[in-house]
Amino acid sequence: MALPAEVDLNPAPPPAEPAAPVAPEVAGRSPSRLAWARLKKDRVAVVSAAVIVLMLVIALGAPLIEWAYGIGPYDDFKARLDRFGMPLGYAGGIDGDHWFGVEPHLGRDIFIRLVYGMRTSLLIATAAATLTSVIGVLVGLAAGFLGRWVDAILGWVMDFALAMPFMVFALAVVPTVALRFYGPRDDIPPLFRGVVLVGIFAVFGWTGTARLVRGQVISLREREFIEAARAAGAGLGHMLFKQLLPNLWAPILISFSLALPSYVTAEAALSFLDVGMVEPVPDFGRMINKSINYLQSDPAYVFFPGITIFVMVLAFNLFGDALRDALDPRSSR
Amino acid sequence: MRTRAASAAGAALALLLLAACTENKGEGPSVDVNRQSTGVIATDPAQSRGPAAEVAGAAKGGTFHILRQSAISHLDPQRIYSFVGLMTAPLYSRFLTTWKDDGKGHLTLVGDLAETPGTDVNKDCKTWEFKIKDGVKYEDGSAITAKDIAYGISRAFSPDYSGGPTYVQEWLADSPQFDKAWDFKANKGSFPPGLTAPDDKTLRFTFAKGHCDLPFAVSLPYTAPVPQAKDTGLGLDTQPFSSGPYKVTKNTVGTEIVLERNTNWDPATDPVRHQYPDRFVWTFGADPDAQANRIIADSGDDQTALGWGGVPASLVGTTINNASLKSRSILSPTPSANRLTINTLRVTDVNIRRALNYAIDRDGLIKSLGGDTVAAPMTTLMPSSTLGFVNYDAYPAGPSGNVEKAKELLAGKTPELVLGVLDTDAETGAQLEANLEKAGFKITVKLIPADAKLDETSKKNNPWDLYIDSWAADWPSGASILPVLFDGRTIKDAGNNNRSYLNDDKINVEFDRVLAMDPAAQGPEWAKLDKKLMEDDAPAVPLYVDVAYYLHGSKAGGIFVSSIFGYPSFVDAHVKS
Repeated sequence: MALPAEVDLNPAPPPAEPAAPVAPEVAGRSPSRLAWARLKKDRVAVVSAAVIVLMLVIALGAPLIEWAYGIGPYDDFKARLDRFGMPLGYAGGIDGDHWFGVEPHLGRDIFIRLVYGMRTSLLIATAAATLTSVIGVLVGLAAGFLGRWVDAILGWVMDFALAMPFMVFALAVVPTVALRFYGPRDDIPPLFRGVVLVGIFAVFGWTGTARLVRGQVISLREREFIEAARAAGAGLGHMLFKQLLPNLWAPILISFSLALPSYVTAEAALSFLDVGMVEPVPDFGRMINKSINYLQSDPAYVFFPGITIFVMVLAFNLFGDALRDALDPRSSR
Repeated sequence: MRTRAASAAGAALALLLLAACTENKGEGPSVDVNRQSTGVIATDPAQSRGPAAEVAGAAKGGTFHILRQSAISHLDPQRIYSFVGLMTAPLYSRFLTTWKDDGKGHLTLVGDLAETPGTDVNKDCKTWEFKIKDGVKYEDGSAITAKDIAYGISRAFSPDYSGGPTYVQEWLADSPQFDKAWDFKANKGSFPPGLTAPDDKTLRFTFAKGHCDLPFAVSLPYTAPVPQAKDTGLGLDTQPFSSGPYKVTKNTVGTEIVLERNTNWDPATDPVRHQYPDRFVWTFGADPDAQANRIIADSGDDQTALGWGGVPASLVGTTINNASLKSRSILSPTPSANRLTINTLRVTDVNIRRALNYAIDRDGLIKSLGGDTVAAPMTTLMPSSTLGFVNYDAYPAGPSGNVEKAKELLAGKTPELVLGVLDTDAETGAQLEANLEKAGFKITVKLIPADAKLDETSKKNNPWDLYIDSWAADWPSGASILPVLFDGRTIKDAGNNNRSYLNDDKINVEFDRVLAMDPAAQGPEWAKLDKKLMEDDAPAVPLYVDVAYYLHGSKAGGIFVSSIFGYPSFVDAHVKS
C-alpha cells in the first residue's frame, strides 16, 4: 500500500492565525470553508465525488436493485448457455433481461453479481479504511505528543508491522483462522471471512496513518497554542483531542480517501488469490480473475467487471487528490 | 508515439466489438458419447505379429512436435504411471503385451514382445507363460531376452525406482508390501519368487492366488525389458535404453526431449507401432492457453505440433465453430469416469443416496465445467469404454434431474450434507450446492486443498458426506473398477480406494465369483454387478466421463485418443508433406 508522501502534507494553518483577508466582504472565512469552496470549483472533484456517491448508493441499495431487476446473484440461467457453456446471443448474452449478459459456464447474471460484488468490496474497504485510520490516529497522536519511551516503543511496533510481508501473512492466516473457529463440517459464513479480511488489513494498514499523524504532531507540539494550553493546565485528553486533532483533519482525511481505493484493490487481489471471499459470494476480485481467461472467447465478460473496478478506483484516487489540493493550496498542482 | 498508441487501442477495441457482435446461436459439433467399445484378447498368434497396418496417407520423414506445460516426471519405464508417460513410453519401449486400438473403442489385446497375450498353463490363472518373439532387438542391436523382461519387473520391486504400477509385484509377492517380501538390491541378478525365465524365450509367472487379469496387467510399461548390464539406475529416468521404434537422443531436463529413429527396431515384430516421423520433439513450458493459440496460428514448427494441454474450456467458444480448425480437431470421450462419492458410513439411509441420484443435474454440472468438450454425462459406475458395458439408468430423472422425485424419496426430510470439493473447484461446489438445495438437501460446501484432497478423503473417518472422485482404470475391465472401488473388505484406516466405504456382503461375494471367471467371460457379469450396486446400494452418483478435445497443426496426422487412457496416442503419428 502506498504511503502518502509526508512532505506534501503540511497542515492547514491553525485557527489562531486566520487567513489574511483579501477583500473586505470575504473576511472571516475559516480554512475549512475555503477548502470547501476550492473543492466545489474543482470539476474533477465534483465528477469523481458524484461517481463515488453513485457507487455507494448502488452498493447500499443492492437488495432494492435486485428487487427491481428481478434476478438474484445466485440464480442461474443454464438455458441461456450453449452446449459448450458459452452465453447464447450477442456479446456474452446481453439483452433486456440480462443487461451485462450472463457468466459463461455457470450462467449467472453478470449485472446483479457486479452490484453485489461492489457491495462486498466497498463494505470491506470502508470498514478497513475506517479501522486503520482510527488506530493510526490514536497511535500517531500518542507517539508524537508523548515522545520519549512511548514514541520509541510505538516506533518499534510500527517498524515491526511494516516489516511483515502482507501477502504471505494473509495467505497463511486466513485459512488457519477459519480452522480455529470452525470445525471440518461447519459452514464458514461470508461475514466471518469479511471480518478476518478487515482484521488483516487493520493489522498492516495502520502504520501509514500513524507515521503521518506522528510527524504532524511533532511539528505542532512546540507551537504557541499548545504552549498556551499547557500553561493553562489542560489535561492530556484535552491536548490531544481538542488542541491537536482539529489541526490534523486535513492529512487524516486525505490518507483515508487514498487508503479506500487501495483496500478495494487489495481485497480484489486477495480474492484473486482465493484467500478473500469464496464462491458463491459475489466478489470483484474473483470475478475479474475468472473473466481474464475469457478475453478471447467472451470479451464482454471481461469488460464489465474490469471497467467497473477501474472507474471505482480511479474515482476514489482522483477525489483523494482533489481533496488534498483543496485542503492544502500550497501543494504543487 | 501517440498515433501508434491510438491505433493499437483502436485495433483492440475493434477486436472487442467484432467478438462481441457475432451472435452465438449455439451450434457446434457433438461428441459420440454412446459409442460401444469392443474388446478381445487375441487368440491367434498372427494377430500379435507385425508389421502394423499402414496408416492411410501417412508418409515417412519430418519432425513431430508436442507442446506441454510441465516436464514428464519419469522416462524410466518401471517408474512410469502418469498419462503423459504412459503415452510416450511406447515410442521407446516395448512391453509384454499391448493394445491394438483404433481410437474408436475397438480394442484387441495382443502380444508385444510376447508371441501371444499369455498362456494360462493350468486354467486356474495361477501359472502364466509367455513366449518371446524372435528378432526383437534393443537400440544397440542386441537381442531382447525373457531374462531382461524379468529383470525389468524385478527392478520395479525396488523402492528406489518407485512410481509405477504395482499389480504384478503385489501378485508375485502375494502382499501389498512387496518391497519387504523381496529385496531387489540384496538379490540383484536373481528374480522375485514366482518369476522365472527358464530360457531366453520363455517367461513364467507363478502366483499363490489366481490372477486372471495378468494379460492386461502386463500391458503397462513396467514390463519393458532392461538388460542388467545397461541398468544405469536413476540414469534410466533421463536416458532410457530403447527397445521401441525411437530412442532418446537428447534430453534437456525440463526443456526438451528429442527422440530419433531406432534403426534396430524391426517393424515385422511389432503389431501396433509405426516409425513415420524422423524424430519426435517434446517442448516444455507453454501453458495450455499458449499451446492452443500457437496451434491455431499454425506457423512454422507448430504446423506439425500437438498441444498436449488440449483446448482450455475458456477458449472453446472461439475454436469450436471455427471451420478452418475442424480438420485439425480431435473430440473424443475418454474412459476417465467421475462420480459424486457418497460416504456410506455417514449417509447410511439408502433413500437419501437414491434421492441424490434423482436430484443430480448433470446437464447443468457439465455446462459449469465447460460443456460438451469437457465432459459427457454418465449414469453407470463403469464408463462406456469398459468391456461388456451395458448402459442403464437406475434412477431415470432426465438430463437436468428430477427434484420432485427426490423430494418424494426424502419424504419431507432435509438431510444436512457436507460436500468436500477441491479449493480449485469452488465453482463446481457452488453448482452442486445450488442444484441439490433445490431438491430439499441442506448442503455445506467445504473447500479441501487440492494436494491434500485424495489423502484426506481416503481416510476411513473423514468428516465429509460427499466428494467428487474420478477413476481411470489401467485396463478396460470391470475387474479394475468395481472391486477396487466398492469391495468393503479392503477398507483400511487410510489410503482407501473404496471411498464410499461400502461394505455389502452380497456384493462382496459377487466380486469373488466374477473375478474367478475367465477374463473374456467377465464383461457382461461386471455390467450386471454395476447395475446391482447402483440399485441396491447407490454408493455414488455417477456424473460424467471426461472428454478430450485437442488441436493439432495442419501437417500433423495420425493422432487419436487412446481408448485405454484417454490421451493422445503416438503410434500412428506422422507428418504430412
